[in-house]
Amino acid sequence: MSGSTSSADHEDSYVLHAWPYQETSQILEALGAQHGRVGLVARGARRPTSRWRSVLQPFLPLRLSWVGRGALYTLRSAEPASFAPALTGLALMGGFYLNELILNFVRRGDPHPGLFIAYSQALADLRAGGDTEPALRRFEFQLLAEVGYGLNLDHDVLNDVPLDPAAVYEYRLEQGPVPAAAGGGGLTFTGSELLAIGRGEFSSPVILRLSKRLFRAVLAHYLDGRTLKTREVMASMRR
Amino acid sequence: MAFTPLMQDLLAALRCLPGVGPKSSQRMAFHLLERNREGAQRIITSLAAALERIGLCSRCRMFTETQLCTICGDSRRDAGVVCVVETPADVVAIEESGVYRGRYFVLMGRLSPLDGIGPEQLGVPVLESQMADGVTREIILATSATVEGEATSGYLASLAREHRVRATRIAHGVPMGGELEYVDAGTLSHAITARTPMLAD
Ligand SMILES: [Zn+2]
Repeated sequence: MSGSTSSADHEDSYVLHAWPYQETSQILEALGAQHGRVGLVARGARRPTSRWRSVLQPFLPLRLSWVGRGALYTLRSAEPASFAPALTGLALMGGFYLNELILNFVRRGDPHPGLFIAYSQALADLRAGGDTEPALRRFEFQLLAEVGYGLNLDHDVLNDVPLDPAAVYEYRLEQGPVPAAAGGGGLTFTGSELLAIGRGEFSSPVILRLSKRLFRAVLAHYLDGRTLKTREVMASMRR
Repeated sequence: MAFTPLMQDLLAALRCLPGVGPKSSQRMAFHLLERNREGAQRIITSLAAALERIGLCSRCRMFTETQLCTICGDSRRDAGVVCVVETPADVVAIEESGVYRGRYFVLMGRLSPLDGIGPEQLGVPVLESQMADGVTREIILATSATVEGEATSGYLASLAREHRVRATRIAHGVPMGGELEYVDAGTLSHAITARTPMLAD
């Protein structure tokens, strides 16, 4: 975030969010394949005649070039990288949710090539139609691992032994599974459930539901009181 | 140069207007004080009255000082068709085209989940009660051709479906008189995706 210099030449990128800036410009939060999250100023992007207006939209695969130093770099060029059909309905709301997760968990300036691939895949899954939840869970799982909050879903951290599929564990935040005390509440799962979540078996409705419960608790822990606005808006849309 | 406190206040106040920077705020202030003190008095009076009395139309959320705006109050307009737009400026633009005879609904924004702007902030409950009133036959979704504009119309279209009201989306694409080679890639890809069938005679 400090006075670092940056330049990118036609880097594969996505716009995550945009804010109006001054009379005719925009500030963009973007995710670049090599540079990770970057803040960009798109000068004149809000002028009626700007060719950038139709290009600088979220979820479109773009090639962006920028230069600069400090917290915000200056956008030099923006063009579509490939054709992608627009997200609609629940898939579109899912896309907004992915963007908000990235803005909350990824700092500007940290490269995350793995995250870029995971994000592109998640958008492709959302575009493919069908239930959006598996794509969202897979992305949450990959995002946590990518930013250093990866979940331990293979061994009992108390006894340092592999999980027993038949045993019941309590998932302790920031630590991992420990044998559950008899009658204990909290985040409890069987060993086989945790192993299945770790293998990403989100096509199973049961594993999908359990992973939502686990990831939600983990995300909330690291959000530390911040709320996800997309979740609130989606709830008000469902009523 | 260093201005007196009152002068500085005035310049800062003028700069809240769009497009007004240090240079033009100075030009405006000097003009009003030097040559048009009467005009300045008029601005004060009408701005105060406007702030005090102009609110939103109870039906369409357009600016008005009466309960219904002039369009909603005009019995010659088709009350069964509601065109949903993002801003009052959009109403003016469509009115100037002269082709539309229905009513409007002004959202004063668009769905923007990352900014926490949801249905409540856009007055959607008011619009929904109109969908349920038995008079509304069609809503025309004229929100912007942005991702958020599309999210807004997609959501309103699903509400319309629940209320068995027809929902249509304004067409986006190649401008009249526009040659394809000068149309930007984003617009062109939208125009191709949203192509419409042509009926042979
Ligand atoms: Zn009205």
